[in-house]
Amino acid sequence: MYNFIQGPLVSIAFVIFILGLIFQFFQFFRLTKKKEWIYPPVDVKREKKTAGKWITFCLASLNGTLWKTDPLVTIVTSVFHVFLILVPVFLLGHNILLNQSWGFSLWSLPESMTDILTGVVLICVAFFLGRRLFLSRVRVITSLYDYVVLLIALAPFLTGYFAYHQWFHYDTVMTVHILAGEVMLITIPFTKLGHMLFFFLYRFFIGNEYSFARGERTW
Amino acid sequence: MSDQGAKPVDTKQIKEMLDRKEGKMKRYLSHCAHCSLCAESCFLYMAHHKDPQYMPSYKAISSLGKLYKKKGKVDRKLLTEMKGIVWRNCVLCGRCYCPIGIHIPSMIAFARSVLRSQDVYPQLDEVSSESWL
Repeated sequence: MYNFIQGPLVSIAFVIFILGLIFQFFQFFRLTKKKEWIYPPVDVKREKKTAGKWITFCLASLNGTLWKTDPLVTIVTSVFHVFLILVPVFLLGHNILLNQSWGFSLWSLPESMTDILTGVVLICVAFFLGRRLFLSRVRVITSLYDYVVLLIALAPFLTGYFAYHQWFHYDTVMTVHILAGEVMLITIPFTKLGHMLFFFLYRFFIGNEYSFARGERTW
Repeated sequence: MSDQGAKPVDTKQIKEMLDRKEGKMKRYLSHCAHCSLCAESCFLYMAHHKDPQYMPSYKAISSLGKLYKKKGKVDRKLLTEMKGIVWRNCVLCGRCYCPIGIHIPSMIAFARSVLRSQDVYPQLDEVSSESWL
């Protein structure tokens, strides 16, 4: 069992993750088409902004969105999502394994730093859990599925933290850690976690008042 | 004026309508992180002392979400409950802001279309909008 989780299942998980994302990507383009008109119109000349103007523009935009209504959640969710990607990709242990398996590795962060960043991710998850449990506006739209998704996101980091500090039985913790990572990879394209891909598709491609780019597609 | 009590619900028609827009709507519903960050962008939510039932996500989940969850097999009682959610609790002003980029007004508008197909919509002779719920 341990050999399967550590060996073939890793490849299976990566294949499902990548093919799943590719499938969802193409499905999105199949389901959407180019708009007959776009917003804002093409003939509106875009003002060329200097660096200073860009900063002012970005700050003004932040002021008009979630930064103003819910700054704490904005900070926590931004930090959480950045570290969620950063930690596993630039973790020394993962890169050593990558080098041993495929002969290449990415740049690695110092272990003491990834340890702290993992702690930050865990605190962020605790914050989200607290919101789900104690804020009525979040509780009213929360189902068991939301807790499962939160657990899927939490498990690889919690078990990784335990493994790094060698708490509990190391081999068991490592097996659970690898399994948790695989479950996360497999579920990303087909669950709520799919917003990892669809966030960009929705915000950049779909024509909408809140598009980051000039959304040229419609459903 | 339509007689909302007499006509049986055509679940087949509802299912057909839901299937037609399944690609978009199911993705929107499944990618909603249930974060509630859309709440403050709704003026009705703010005007009703932050009552969660006015949250854009709540309105979409409890109307269109339920229709998809039940695969269109709904009774008139449920459709009438939804009527209050999609007409009384939402004016389709389009100001709701989703950080993921989900277009909530299109979900509410579609829920309205499904309800309208079953003759469930606000009646001119209703005493007040409060009687919908």
